[in-house]
Amino acid sequence: MDPNQAPVENYANPKTCLFHVLFKGAALAFYILSALFFNSFVIIFVVTVLLAALDFWVVKNVSGRILVGLRWWNEINDLGESVWKFESLDQESLARMNKKDSWLFWWTLYFAAAAWFILGVFSLIRFQADYLLVVGVCLSLNVANIIGFTKCKKDAKKQLQQFASQTIASRFQSTVQSAFTLV
Amino acid sequence: MSHNDTIPLYQSSQSDIDEIENMMNGGGFQSGPGTVLPARPPSPTRPSIPVSSSSSPFVQSNLPPPPPSSSSSASQKVTPVPAPPSLPPSVNFGSSEGSKTTGFGSPPNTLTEPVWDTVKRDLCRIVSNLKLVVFPNPNREDPGKALRDWDLWGPFFFIVFLGLTLSWSASVKKSEVFAVAFALLAAGAVILTLNVLLLGGHIIFFQSLSLLGYCLFPLDVGAVICMLKDNVILKMIVVTVTLAWSSWAAYPFMSAAVNPRRKALALYPVFLMYVSVGFLIIAID
Repeated sequence: MDPNQAPVENYANPKTCLFHVLFKGAALAFYILSALFFNSFVIIFVVTVLLAALDFWVVKNVSGRILVGLRWWNEINDLGESVWKFESLDQESLARMNKKDSWLFWWTLYFAAAAWFILGVFSLIRFQADYLLVVGVCLSLNVANIIGFTKCKKDAKKQLQQFASQTIASRFQSTVQSAFTLV
Repeated sequence: MSHNDTIPLYQSSQSDIDEIENMMNGGGFQSGPGTVLPARPPSPTRPSIPVSSSSSPFVQSNLPPPPPSSSSSASQKVTPVPAPPSLPPSVNFGSSEGSKTTGFGSPPNTLTEPVWDTVKRDLCRIVSNLKLVVFPNPNREDPGKALRDWDLWGPFFFIVFLGLTLSWSASVKKSEVFAVAFALLAAGAVILTLNVLLLGGHIIFFQSLSLLGYCLFPLDVGAVICMLKDNVILKMIVVTVTLAWSSWAAYPFMSAAVNPRRKALALYPVFLMYVSVGFLIIAID
């Protein structure tokens, strides 16, 4: 074996990755295939929306945390205002995150949203308002997650930059101060 | 630090300088180093994206302990936010408040907590929200505080359950009954919230959706009873009682949110929606 060759990175959290993809895939598959098996709209609606909601929860609370180290939520502060909170792991942990994991995380999010959008277009063309409702709900859940995590990532980057700049500035400050005390 | 920092869409270096100064002054009155101060007077009416950064995520990504509410109110203009947050409709199922229990300086344990803890936390939240909204308790006098940790899982379950119950009770057109019930309740909640907001009321969009969903619980109970017993008189009595209960549950929150002179304008549509759901329940054969 070539000692210079870096080991190929594997998924660091295979179980989490699996769950991340599982509910999304199940919701899409159920929606697409159910027309072949079930005649009842109610079952299709309830099961699809339930799977989509479970997927939303899993992505937001579990795979977001574990695969990319990000989390977002909303709170009401004491003034009664709505506040969005973002949380991210610190710099070293973020750097240590598995690349494959985060690639899977982001691209399955985008793919699922795109798939629901296309399905929505189909049901719009066929003038099926009730199926459009299902697709609308699932799409909005996916989009909400995408937006939340994107904002969280941007916020994390911003914090990083601010932290870096303030560390540099404070170090500069202390060097200048110590220079003056020496003089 | 939970303050609503509406960052305008241009960057200014003023905030960085302020932040550095704060760090040198030992954090000032903020309880965390590196918290982003609103260095420019926040103007909530500006159409900027309200982003609120949590305190420094590098040592700990948690919110500092509760006292900051007084300092945060001092540090920002106290104008209650009249408009809904100009964010896209992020449906926040099971939003986890997470970090209130951790102290300052501890590792970000909402990020590293086991999954089961998250599940338990969300389940407990649903139950506590339900108890706060539907059952009599002292917090009802302060509605803003009562549904502070809103979540949408409870309302989701209740709406789906009501739709399923109605659909089950219907002998024909089950799918349409379900779709109509779901669409009516979901759209109704959104429209009612918009109604309050347009009347100049101060309510958070998702909090109100969450509230209206939780207030469906009595109607769920009524629908189940009506499904089991098919007597018309009994149905009418049950529906009337549960309708009154739902309206009573929703009343303090809605009325507190608007100008007292417009209370009736805000409450009447809520009552109307519940009445129409009640009719659906009675009429289902």
